[in-house]
Amino acid sequence: MTNIIEVNGLSKSFGNITAVNDISFYVEKGALFSFLGTNGAGKSTTISILLTLLQQDSGFVIVNGYTVGKNDRAIRREIGVVFQESLLDPLLTVKENLAIRGSFYGMTRQERSIAINRVIDIVDIHSISNRPYGKLSGGQRRRVDIARALIHKPNILILDEPTTGLDPQSRKSIWATILQLQKETGMTVFLTTHYIEEAANSDYVVVMKDGSIVAKGTPEQLKNDYSTDLLTISTEWADELRSLLMLDGLDFDEEKSLFHIRLSHTTDAIPILAKFTSFISSFEVKKSSLDDVFIAINGKVVNQDDSIR
Amino acid sequence: MIAFAKRNILLYFRDKTTVFFSLLAVIILIGLYVLFLGEMTAKGLPDFPAKKAVLTTWFIAGILAVTSMTTTLASFGILVEDRANKKYMDFYSSPISRSRLVGGYIISALVVGFIMCMITLLASNVFLFVSGEGVLSVGKMIAAGGVIILSVLASGSMVLLLVSFFKTSNAFAAASTVIGTLLGFLAGIYIPIGGLPDYIQAVVKLFPVSHSAALFRQLIMEAPLLEAFSTAPVTMKQAFEIDMGMLYDINGKKTTLLFSIMYLIGTTLLFFGLSLLVMRRKSK
Repeated sequence: MTNIIEVNGLSKSFGNITAVNDISFYVEKGALFSFLGTNGAGKSTTISILLTLLQQDSGFVIVNGYTVGKNDRAIRREIGVVFQESLLDPLLTVKENLAIRGSFYGMTRQERSIAINRVIDIVDIHSISNRPYGKLSGGQRRRVDIARALIHKPNILILDEPTTGLDPQSRKSIWATILQLQKETGMTVFLTTHYIEEAANSDYVVVMKDGSIVAKGTPEQLKNDYSTDLLTISTEWADELRSLLMLDGLDFDEEKSLFHIRLSHTTDAIPILAKFTSFISSFEVKKSSLDDVFIAINGKVVNQDDSIR
Repeated sequence: MIAFAKRNILLYFRDKTTVFFSLLAVIILIGLYVLFLGEMTAKGLPDFPAKKAVLTTWFIAGILAVTSMTTTLASFGILVEDRANKKYMDFYSSPISRSRLVGGYIISALVVGFIMCMITLLASNVFLFVSGEGVLSVGKMIAAGGVIILSVLASGSMVLLLVSFFKTSNAFAAASTVIGTLLGFLAGIYIPIGGLPDYIQAVVKLFPVSHSAALFRQLIMEAPLLEAFSTAPVTMKQAFEIDMGMLYDINGKKTTLLFSIMYLIGTTLLFFGLSLLVMRRKSK
């Protein structure tokens, strides 16, 4: 697999505030890549540099072979972007908006009309294509934003918190569209989000905090490194169970009558449950989620570890 | 660039409040004129034949000059709004060059200004017809169209320089209101230049819109003036022309049509040049 985006030693400060501090990562071609972090972690600054909207202080960024700062025009053709805010014109219809944005890429009138029909098909907005953008619902607007981002057939689709402020149903349907798009076209999707469950679908995740990368890897790797599967047992014989668990050398926490036993895999729960059946009132096995990773990372500062990658 | 200009023009005309506010200064002007300015101006002048026609056409010329500025100003408001709404992020992340974007804004402001002035001109002609005054001939209308182009260019260049300093829509809206109000004074439209103190007269003569107003006046007032001063001495007519701002007295020399035209072209070039300089410096 080749890398379509390479970021190396990237830094950017605004006055005394360091927004991005010497970060490096790459995005494989065709991947669904997630850029995770709380607000103010430096995601938007990084995206702005990728989009050639902002100049970095140091480091370099290469997008499909083009260098940011040198081949900006070419990079803008490589990338389609869905911004956090709606940036289309509310008073113009969906089609008018798409036609105007199409003209930004030097398309002729005929090319534009073909492109408009293509993107309308992709995001399935036939029924609203002649309505003013400002009259659409949040979910519909997002679809149009995606259509706008795809108008010039970019190789990379950047989505900056695409589902923020949408109702759960719209979020789900927007996601179905994005995933289908990625699957069918092999397009690279670069996503920033603070919804952890959205990042769980991705091939690779980079977590930022205070301008630095604090973790990176596949969702599985991150789960392994930053959180554990958990067996919770509720018991009436706490003292007996405690000593037995200690005897077996298991890693656990105790909270009233609950014992949380950390597992390296959910299936490890089976022999434990079998062994202590008589002491168990009830139990629960919880597979670790990216949520736990995110909380683990943001709860305590984790030093960048080369072993992650 | 053309598609982008079209977008801006569409945005102007689709937003009824923008259209209304761009004409607000004109509407206020008409209101004031109907209420008392018209009578005041008339009282300040001796009686002569066709006085009403002369004053009506004088006023129409002033309205045209004001319209050329307020409508281009409102159209450039779209630029300010795009900046305030971060729409430039979308524009700048596309491969279209910044100069084409600026070109699109300029073209749209000029087109909007031209269309709105032409509408004003036609409406004025209808008003002249309805009120029984002599209507403007087709030739005059075409010539007025030419003056409108000059006037819109000069106004557009000034506004372009102005908008490069505004970051929020609110600040720009406030400035627009102030400008719309001042405009009537600075171009000698509320009160004829002859009734203003000397130092304000100097400002009026410098202000480009005064020169487009002068051109409009010379064009539109020609027929009624001929009637009014057919029997009067030439010196009297000239004094009237200077008092009413049809031409300006600069250090004892009277401005000509050509002077006003050249003045408008010169200020257009000057302000466009300055705007480009400011934008260059800002984009660095």
